Amino acid sequence: MGFMRKAVVAGLASTALVSGVLTGVAFAGKSDNTVRFAYDQAPESADPFFNNVRIGVIIGQHVWDTLVYRDPVTNEYKGQLATAWRWIDDRTLEFDLRQGVKFHNGEEFDADDVVYTLNFVAKPENKVVTQQNVSWIEKAEKVDKYKVRVTTKQVFPAAVEYLAGPVVIHPNEYYEKVGPKGQNDKPVGSGPYKVTNYVPGKSITLEKNPDYFRDSPKPAAKIAKVEIRFIPDRQTQMAEAISSGVDLIMGVPKDQADQLKAAPHLQVVSGETMRIVFLQMNTLEGAPSPALKDERVRKAIIHAIDRPTMVKQIVGEGSRVIDTVCFPSQFGCTNDGAVKYDYNPAKAKQLLAEAGYGNGLELDIVAYRERNQTEAVIGYLRAVGIKANLRFLQYAAMRDIIRGNKAMLTHQTWGSFSVNDVSASTPVFFAAGDDDITRDPAVAELLKKGDNSVEPQMRKEAYRKALALIAEKAYAVPMYSLPSYYVAAKDLVFKAYPDELPRFWEMSWK
Amino acid sequence: MTDTTLSLPEAPEPSPAMKLLRRFLGQKAFVIGTGILAVIVLLALAAPLIAPHDPYLQNLDLRTIPPVWYEKGTWAHPLGTDQLGRDYLSRVVYGARISLLIGVSVVVISGLIGTALGLAAGYFGGRVDLLVTFLVTTRLSMPVILVALAVVAMIGGSLWIVILVLGFLKWDRFAVVMRSATQQVRSLDYVAAAESAGASTTRIVLGEVLPNIAPHLIVVATLEAASAILLEAALSFLGLGVQPPLPSWGLMISEAKAYMFFSFWLIAIPGTALALLIFAINLAGDGLRDVISPEGRA
Repeated sequence: MGFMRKAVVAGLASTALVSGVLTGVAFAGKSDNTVRFAYDQAPESADPFFNNVRIGVIIGQHVWDTLVYRDPVTNEYKGQLATAWRWIDDRTLEFDLRQGVKFHNGEEFDADDVVYTLNFVAKPENKVVTQQNVSWIEKAEKVDKYKVRVTTKQVFPAAVEYLAGPVVIHPNEYYEKVGPKGQNDKPVGSGPYKVTNYVPGKSITLEKNPDYFRDSPKPAAKIAKVEIRFIPDRQTQMAEAISSGVDLIMGVPKDQADQLKAAPHLQVVSGETMRIVFLQMNTLEGAPSPALKDERVRKAIIHAIDRPTMVKQIVGEGSRVIDTVCFPSQFGCTNDGAVKYDYNPAKAKQLLAEAGYGNGLELDIVAYRERNQTEAVIGYLRAVGIKANLRFLQYAAMRDIIRGNKAMLTHQTWGSFSVNDVSASTPVFFAAGDDDITRDPAVAELLKKGDNSVEPQMRKEAYRKALALIAEKAYAVPMYSLPSYYVAAKDLVFKAYPDELPRFWEMSWK
Repeated sequence: MTDTTLSLPEAPEPSPAMKLLRRFLGQKAFVIGTGILAVIVLLALAAPLIAPHDPYLQNLDLRTIPPVWYEKGTWAHPLGTDQLGRDYLSRVVYGARISLLIGVSVVVISGLIGTALGLAAGYFGGRVDLLVTFLVTTRLSMPVILVALAVVAMIGGSLWIVILVLGFLKWDRFAVVMRSATQQVRSLDYVAAAESAGASTTRIVLGEVLPNIAPHLIVVATLEAASAILLEAALSFLGLGVQPPLPSWGLMISEAKAYMFFSFWLIAIPGTALALLIFAINLAGDGLRDVISPEGRA
């Protein structure tokens, strides 16, 4: 087998090599200090406020800066475009801004940029795609050239976390002139890398910003150039990695990553991400499957699925089973007091029989990614007498089904936009919002209390009660956190972080 | 069987049925095609007896075991297991059921529609013929895969939707062939005789015309069955056909795509099964045509 595998890899490498030569792909990123990175989705816009895909977040963090920076290791907040900040009252944050920072087009950074950006994205009529990241902002005001105040609509203690993540700052004069469309055509930020070439839907090239300010918590970049290509097909990505056409790919499925370990010039790194997987169960009035209204059926579904084995066999290293619908490191996330459901098919069958479905039950399950995991769930459900039909869709189509009250079971995943606070995860699905298909008012009230209280202890307690109630009523099947597998050239030095954000400014060559 | 063939040369004049049988057996392609087809049909019918495991039974601890002829293979799973630890042999065997079911059902639906239209056009001619020709042209202007994709994407994929979509899209060849065949038969004496004897139109069409064009019908049906099976595989491969966990060959190929670099048997086994079935149907169909209407040979 060892020989077989080597032979296969060698064969693949040679065919891929030939195709690589034919298409004129340059080799070895180390010699020209360029990291070639492939990603399977293309952003609809390079402007971070006008796309909701991971690659958009990655580009956003390299080309732009945020007011605050969260250290991914210590989770400590550091000043980036701001140097200091303080809560003036429950709803007002004051920022002292950094002086001497310049945008890529030479525009100077000051309070006007912050005020313009935040007020622009907060206005619903500007139709920012990532509404949940900005809808908390009421307004931003200039105090003086390097001081601004941000007011939240309600008491919103997680504000700093959002300002340290998805809410980047645009140059006001440029943005006012060209708008989101112009920021997509020719993106301008203040970040450690600037965009030098962008072919929408195909590739984007980032080059090191030589004038990047020294005191930034993002250390000065060593890699001179990052070429990002959007390659939707996973097999093509793998062939490119095998033939050294790319230096880094991410989100590689476990089985394929395991196989690529055999290639001598590649390294495989895996790490947990903040993305959690869970199954929602529609209990709303008029839902297509009334069976899910029965708590016993919902509990049977949880008992039917062997989550630890799924984690071990198909999800992969770095993943862990979760018992509540949030990522464990998020502020307020806990499984303290939440009922744990073990893998117990006998009990599942018994519960189904008690609920009157002893002769079987048929359900639809909608899903949009990690299809093999959905199929494993279907297999487990089948073993206890639930026939689940897969409807595998694009995310937008699945969201429409869920929001249109046409879903039964859903296979959801949620990355919380890497925001390390429960307000970015559980309430999205349980606080009576569009994606909430259980709508328990008690749960929603507790979550809202958690979102809008100042006192950290009070927030934690409210979230704890809400999470326990969700578990007790079995409104969802909390599954596991997803790991991300990175396959990289062996001489690339990089680290995998839970926020699924490769940091090119930190990378170097061995 | 042996006795009959031995006694045949002594018989002064073999019966017409015997003559036909001999002509069939003289066609090697037909014999091979039908032979393979018969084996596949038997496998499909006897699936519960032959399949060593439940095709839906997953065991995540036993994933992607290679077939038995590999070092790590085991007789417990002669063709190995798939990415969810389901027995591959059982899935291939049950997959034959899906493919045959689709082939037969699609042919029945499209055959009924196409034959009815073709008969009407050929028998009545005139405006009816114009209308049917128009319908056929309209239908031929629609690319089957594209329409099927659109419909399935709109209302969701399932086995029966795939069958219905293909059934309603693939009647054109039936209509065209039946129309021209009916036109030929229509002008023959026995039809005129039946007409002058006062037989009803229904009786003439069903009793005189249809039996005489049936051989053409059978040939078209075999070709269309093969094409329907391939289309289903293509749709399932694109994720818009039969939905998991049903063991359709196209779906199995699609799911194995991610593994083709390192576990190529996952894609090769259902691929071979599919190729074999199509090959067998086409051989049988060709042989049938050669026997029934040798003049139709290209």
